[in-house]
Amino acid sequence: MTARSRSVLIVEDGTEYRDAFRRLSPEGADGSVEWLHAPNAAAALRLLDRHRVDAVFLDVVFDRTPPEDLIGPAEHRASLAERQGFYVAAAIARVLPSGVPVLLAYDFTDDPGRLAALRRSIPALEGVEEGESASRLVERLLGKA
Amino acid sequence: MILEALLAALAFTASQDAAPAPEAPAPAAGDCSSDPAALAAQARSLLEDAGAAPDAATLRRARDLLRRARKGSSDAALMLSSADVAFAAGDEEEGADLLAAAAERDAARLSPPELLLLARRAQARRRWREAIARYQDLGRALEAGGGAADWIPGRVRELELEARADAIAPPSAGPPAEARLALADGKRALAAGRLQEARESLRAALDASPDYTEALLALGAVETRSHRPAAAIRAYRGALAAEPDRVEALTALANLLWEEPDRRTKEESLRLLDRAAALRPDLRPLLRLSANRWAEFGDAPKALERLDRFLEQASPPERAEAQALRDALSRRVRGATEEPTPAPASPEETASAAVDLWKKAQVYLQRGGDGADEEALRLLAESERLDPRFAGAPELAASIALRREQWREAEAALRRAVRLDPSRVANHEQLARLLDRFPERSAEALEAWRGAEAAGSTEALIRLARAAERAGSPREALRLYRRYGNEAPAGPGADEAAASAARLEAGERKTVLAVASVFAPLAAAALWLVWRRRAGVSFAEWLARDPGKARDARPVVGRLRHEVLKHGGMLLSDAAARLQDGDAETRRATAQLLSARLYGDSGARGLLDEADSAVAQLRALARESGVRLNLRHRDPVFSWLLRGLAVLRGARRGLRRVAERPTRTWDAALARRLLRRAAACFAVSSGPELARTIERAAVLPVRADALRALLAGVAEEHGAPAPELELVGDLAEGGLPAVRISALDWQTVWRNLFANALEEAQRRGAASVRLGLCAQTRRDPVTGEARLRLVLADDLEGGIDAARLRERGAERGLGVVVELLRRSEGSVAVVPAPAAGFTKGIALDLPAAEEPA
Repeated sequence: MTARSRSVLIVEDGTEYRDAFRRLSPEGADGSVEWLHAPNAAAALRLLDRHRVDAVFLDVVFDRTPPEDLIGPAEHRASLAERQGFYVAAAIARVLPSGVPVLLAYDFTDDPGRLAALRRSIPALEGVEEGESASRLVERLLGKA
Repeated sequence: MILEALLAALAFTASQDAAPAPEAPAPAAGDCSSDPAALAAQARSLLEDAGAAPDAATLRRARDLLRRARKGSSDAALMLSSADVAFAAGDEEEGADLLAAAAERDAARLSPPELLLLARRAQARRRWREAIARYQDLGRALEAGGGAADWIPGRVRELELEARADAIAPPSAGPPAEARLALADGKRALAAGRLQEARESLRAALDASPDYTEALLALGAVETRSHRPAAAIRAYRGALAAEPDRVEALTALANLLWEEPDRRTKEESLRLLDRAAALRPDLRPLLRLSANRWAEFGDAPKALERLDRFLEQASPPERAEAQALRDALSRRVRGATEEPTPAPASPEETASAAVDLWKKAQVYLQRGGDGADEEALRLLAESERLDPRFAGAPELAASIALRREQWREAEAALRRAVRLDPSRVANHEQLARLLDRFPERSAEALEAWRGAEAAGSTEALIRLARAAERAGSPREALRLYRRYGNEAPAGPGADEAAASAARLEAGERKTVLAVASVFAPLAAAALWLVWRRRAGVSFAEWLARDPGKARDARPVVGRLRHEVLKHGGMLLSDAAARLQDGDAETRRATAQLLSARLYGDSGARGLLDEADSAVAQLRALARESGVRLNLRHRDPVFSWLLRGLAVLRGARRGLRRVAERPTRTWDAALARRLLRRAAACFAVSSGPELARTIERAAVLPVRADALRALLAGVAEEHGAPAPELELVGDLAEGGLPAVRISALDWQTVWRNLFANALEEAQRRGAASVRLGLCAQTRRDPVTGEARLRLVLADDLEGGIDAARLRERGAERGLGVVVELLRRSEGSVAVVPAPAAGFTKGIALDLPAAEEPA
């Protein structure tokens, strides 16, 4: 068994990304990466409190998360699940060491200004283009791409 | 010598002429008496006075006297005297004419040379009967004088052949092109039931070619259908005159005449029918019809004889059907015979040597006897050699060969005749009937019938109709039977055509009903499919029609992008690669992962269900707008997305098989292909493009001039002067970004804000209110979204404040404003005055359109 040298935190309301990264990427298959999984912001913060992570992957839509576990302003309650990943990013940015890459599952192709605005608080934030494969995403998370 | 002869002749004439007119005074020279004897004597006297060689004037005078004498007498002696004087004057033509006249009265008075002269002259002039008579006179004269006359009978036989040949009408030439065209027009009009037009065209054809049989037959059909029997009879008689053996004409005329009341006409009808039956023994119904009519006519023997001939080849049902008639006829039979009707001969003559030979061949055939056929064929061969374009010769040769059952020769001759004159229907029909004798040549026979049909044969229509029926083409058969009914309503096959057409029409109706019962649902389904494909609008078209729905569509499309385009895209290419390159266990694990993710697992919905749900939600939203979304066929983005989903559905079984039996590489290969195809579809289906579509529909440009116009309108409604709407700060006209709010909500928000300001001013008794507008773009610090903050400033003291705003003071419409902005993820707040001269501001915060990169 290969020693795990990398740790990646995945925050998503299901397990799809984790399963895909683990099963479809070479790094996932050889067991060299530790996949930490958090279903919401609070769980992510707890994991970050206990673990050192080398990268973070954030889903955006958390529509399977119970509303009470969603974070964000109350007046935007109706759309919190739809953009929960942004709020999680803002929350973990406060505790995440600088330089840790954060991949947000959002395509900023048409919103470059938005990405630039977000990078003011999370300099290592990057978006995900539609159609990017799991292995490609893992490469990006691990700094190989 | 000449003179002596002349005088002798005149003396003889005078002595003969003296008897019938003894009292006539002897005329003096130069007398103008009309007495033939006196005139003849005067002529004789003149010639005697002129001596041995009378001059021309004397001869002229003598001929004149004799000519006058012949006016009063036609005596043979006078004719002979006159002939001699005419010969003496060098007028051989008149001399011979006078000799001929003398021979007509008393040939015995002519010498053999004179008779020979007359015979040769008549022969040269093709006056065969006269030549024969003169040779016969010559024979008698020679026999009486002891001369050799044994050559005379042979010469006479030759001349008789010529005479009989002359009596035969030459074959008619083919009709000119204009006649054929007019016939074609006429037949088309006839088939369409335009009888008057048909009649005019056919008459035009007959004007161009009066004995054009086909045109006459067609005209007969037109007149029959027009219920003008007299005109129809005339037309058919014309056809028979041109072509006496034309069976269609015979039967049609027979049928028409049978309907006439008088007995003689019926008798003619029966003769025609019998002739048709004799010409075409293969048309057995003619015999049956003939038997019926003879029986009806009251001639039992003839009826019985025809019925028996019919029964010789009758089928059992036909025998049974005819038995009663036969029994009745047998009881009445007495025996009878019939006379064939001779064909009328045309007086037309032709000078063609080929035609002459053809005529002689006809004579041999009519004469019959040993060697007649051979001699006729020899003459016809010579005729063909002389005029290779003369169709009559091979046609007649064919008829001889047919009679002698020399089929090969008959076919060859008929083919030559058809080639030479393609318009001659009879030859086409003969050829087709000949080929019909040989079952193995049925295809050639059919082709020949087609040629006959093209030439205008109505019989061909029946034959081709039967063939079409046998070949399983009932529609074609029906068309031909109908044509026959139109073109030959009184023809021999009219009954068969009518019955067959009725039968086929019934079958066609059944077929149509059967086909309709089968295909109507299919057609309906096809129409429904076409409607599904064509009807409806694309996603972009829907939002362009109803931009207000963009707000509702946005989260649905977001979910679709998230599930399908992002997750699906992420999974597919990697999974395909692992199915290709991985070992069996890798393939199994990959297939299981994909199956669970795509199709659901343990109660969790799969990606496909999520996508279906999202698409259904979009369609439901569109229906609320009264619109049918056609994402599959009309939408350039969604169509690929849906296609990719369909491919993934098709991959389900394959993935399951791979999960169950990962060693079967072909299952993995198939699944891999499908996954890559789906990935390719998703790659084409652009998520950003969907987002842009929503963005285009959802955003509204902020225009200061539009807000001023709205303010003026609200002021007018309140009876207040319209205040200025000042642009505060560095806000410039047209320099604002678009905001995400529907136009209606936007207008309602501003109407309420303006009305609130105007009413507050009126409530306070202020003459006017000062309003200002300032704007600021910003980014949401958490989500990074672009937002626009618009502040409406006024100079009114007090009034609305943040506390009242939170309470949503409905009395001033602020509650509506709060709600409308919330729906668009916006907010409203009371803020400090943005510039000097104002007392406060109402700030609207709304999502703004992303500025271009």
